[in-house]
Amino acid sequence: MVFKIGLLINPISGMGGKVGLKGTDGVYKQALDLGAEKIAEKKASDAIKKFIFKYKPTRKIKWYTCSGEMGYNVLKNNKIENIEIIYVTKKENTNGKDTKNACRKFLEKNVDLIYFCGGDGTTRDIFEVVKDKVPILGIPSGVKMHSGVFAINSSAAAKVLNEFINKSLTVGEAEIMDLDEKKYRKGIWHVRLFGIAKGIVEPTYVQLGKASFQSVSDDYIKDELAEHLEEQLKENKNYLYIFGPGGTIDYIADKLDFKNTILGIDAIYNNTVVGTDLNEQDLLKLLKKYPKAKVILSPIGAQGFILGRGNLQLSPKVIRNIGLDNIIVVSTPTKLKSTPILRVDTGDKKLDKLFFEKEFIMVVIGYRLSRVVKLQTNKL
Amino acid sequence: MGGIEFMKEQTEFLKREYEDLKEKGHTWTIRSLLGPSEPHVNVEGKKCIMLASNNYLNLANHPKLKKAAVEAVKKYGAGAGSDWSIAGNMDVHIDLHKKIAEFKNTESAVTFQTGFAVNSGVIPQLAGKGDILISDELNHGSIIDGVRLTKADRGIYGHSDMGELEKVLKDTNKKNYRRTIVITDGVFSMDGDIAKIDEIYKLTDEFGAMLYVDDAHGEGVLGDGYGIGKEFDLEKEIDFQMGTFSKAFGSFGGMLAGSEYLTKFAFNTARTWLLSAAFPPHVAAANIAALEVVEEEPERIKKLWDNTKYFKKEIESLGFNTGHSQTPIIPAMIGDSKKAQELANKMYDEGIFALAIVFPMVGRDKARIRNQMNAGMTRKDLDQILMVYEKLGKELKLI
Repeated sequence: MVFKIGLLINPISGMGGKVGLKGTDGVYKQALDLGAEKIAEKKASDAIKKFIFKYKPTRKIKWYTCSGEMGYNVLKNNKIENIEIIYVTKKENTNGKDTKNACRKFLEKNVDLIYFCGGDGTTRDIFEVVKDKVPILGIPSGVKMHSGVFAINSSAAAKVLNEFINKSLTVGEAEIMDLDEKKYRKGIWHVRLFGIAKGIVEPTYVQLGKASFQSVSDDYIKDELAEHLEEQLKENKNYLYIFGPGGTIDYIADKLDFKNTILGIDAIYNNTVVGTDLNEQDLLKLLKKYPKAKVILSPIGAQGFILGRGNLQLSPKVIRNIGLDNIIVVSTPTKLKSTPILRVDTGDKKLDKLFFEKEFIMVVIGYRLSRVVKLQTNKL
Repeated sequence: MGGIEFMKEQTEFLKREYEDLKEKGHTWTIRSLLGPSEPHVNVEGKKCIMLASNNYLNLANHPKLKKAAVEAVKKYGAGAGSDWSIAGNMDVHIDLHKKIAEFKNTESAVTFQTGFAVNSGVIPQLAGKGDILISDELNHGSIIDGVRLTKADRGIYGHSDMGELEKVLKDTNKKNYRRTIVITDGVFSMDGDIAKIDEIYKLTDEFGAMLYVDDAHGEGVLGDGYGIGKEFDLEKEIDFQMGTFSKAFGSFGGMLAGSEYLTKFAFNTARTWLLSAAFPPHVAAANIAALEVVEEEPERIKKLWDNTKYFKKEIESLGFNTGHSQTPIIPAMIGDSKKAQELANKMYDEGIFALAIVFPMVGRDKARIRNQMNAGMTRKDLDQILMVYEKLGKELKLI
């Protein structure tokens, strides 16, 4: 069966980095004036060259791509056949609109994978159209790459593509992160969780017996996590349970039969939803009403942050109210594999120091199953 | 009618899922021995040096074990006729239990059908809700299964990482568990490394936890053949000593040794004991003979270790990486699964029967050939194996 890849390159991705612009969105001309050079095409070419010449894929592949710098040039230069241009860019300087238009075409062609070269900005544009309909794999080129869809480098991007085509890897959730670049240039660090896409992950292998493993889906593990938390909720009826953002927690909430905000913070008490999409003030009010509380978090983004990225509503004041010992981290083993160290950056040095002194945290990875994971605080 | 016609629509998934495993390269190639398991074997008509068996002391075809088994067959017949708990418990089984306790220097012992049955049957009975079982991440699948059958909490620590174990125990201490049990393999059978039982015991003692050790690959090998308890001088301190007769002892069956109440508790609660037939009396007789041979022939253990040290030194000097091996299990780390498989196949062609351990049994780039030493191998056998490794290692550009 033919494997259909939608290839998309953001030609200007990464230009802002070397000239200190911390991103390229909206500042392309400024980047050019500062002497920035295009790097994305070479990164994409490195990945594709490796994929074709090192791994020599035997499966038949159909490449759908965009004209010129957005994809066709790289495929042609690497002597790839079986290409179809599905989007033609009409202008010299492409932007997010072109990315989105191309993705709409990819969806029409029912591609099996969107293979792109860019950064968080490009990822965000792709996600806005694709959502979780098709898996996404990124060749890193951008200045900011907090999202969980990127391979480590071009070489790894080739390897992952090869393994996915050969069914050694599977599809799992990947957080799409969004750093507000305008705020960042003013010195304000604001990363939010933009959405949950489909990424490429190692399958979780459950050991059934000596030398015998069964591949299980992420959902299998999440079912176990849900079962685990359901019991916890039953055993601790007098606790407020605060649910953090992310796909894993969203899945669990769904299994527990309550509506939650995938990108926001919700709370339940005695099996009743007492707040949705809560901000810091909402949380503090609830904590005043229900002094005993636990918060359920899962690692977010490529760097495994449990606090400080995508959940700023859990402010230092909120965390202190809840207590460090009442933080429950849940994760699929797949996620932990890609982020073996969990990170905290509350923005409050004293609070971060408490986490630093903790050194580790027990992470729930299955029904009543936890493992110890190293904890790292940013900047300490 | 052929096989396909027998497949109903409902069972169609068997073929489909098998084909899927095959496509991923996750199926087993099972070869057959035409004759006894010894250092020189007949594998489907091909004469090979055996490098893949657990028969470390070369007892599987020992005349004393065979004699004991034959005499027991003549006396007791082919089988025990019933479950242990009902009418299958024979005097030869009782003798075996006493012999094990004496051998292991414990108060008491009991046997199970297999080592797997010990772990999967006993562990679920030791802990439940309100307890915690703490496991090394590379423990044997039978331990994992046993743990999964409980409603106890479970903690995992990184392989042999005492820092992590300490952290898990510290975390556990805060939570008022009724029982805390740390469970570990004694010898890890993929890498051949030994668990740090002394350090683990120190931690369990400090935190008031119990210690369960699966000594399947340690018996007959460590502690002058008496196992890991003797190796670390902790026979009385290890609360649950589990072992098997199917490896160094050359026979069959599992065992559990410890206090009198442990064995009483085990055979009154473990479903794998209560609901299964007693293993045949001739197996019990062969097991007793095996323990006696280990006591009477210490030169076997010495020979096993001489072979181990020689082979490890020589294969490393060829340029192969043996990882963290500390026992007669000596992996030759290859890395790529396909390469490891190719090497194993070519070794077979050259008359060396070795097993490639590949992904997902081990990590993606950690495929290896698992070499298992045997007390019955001669220096000539070892040199032959090394010659093949050198030849194929160069051919496949591994060295």
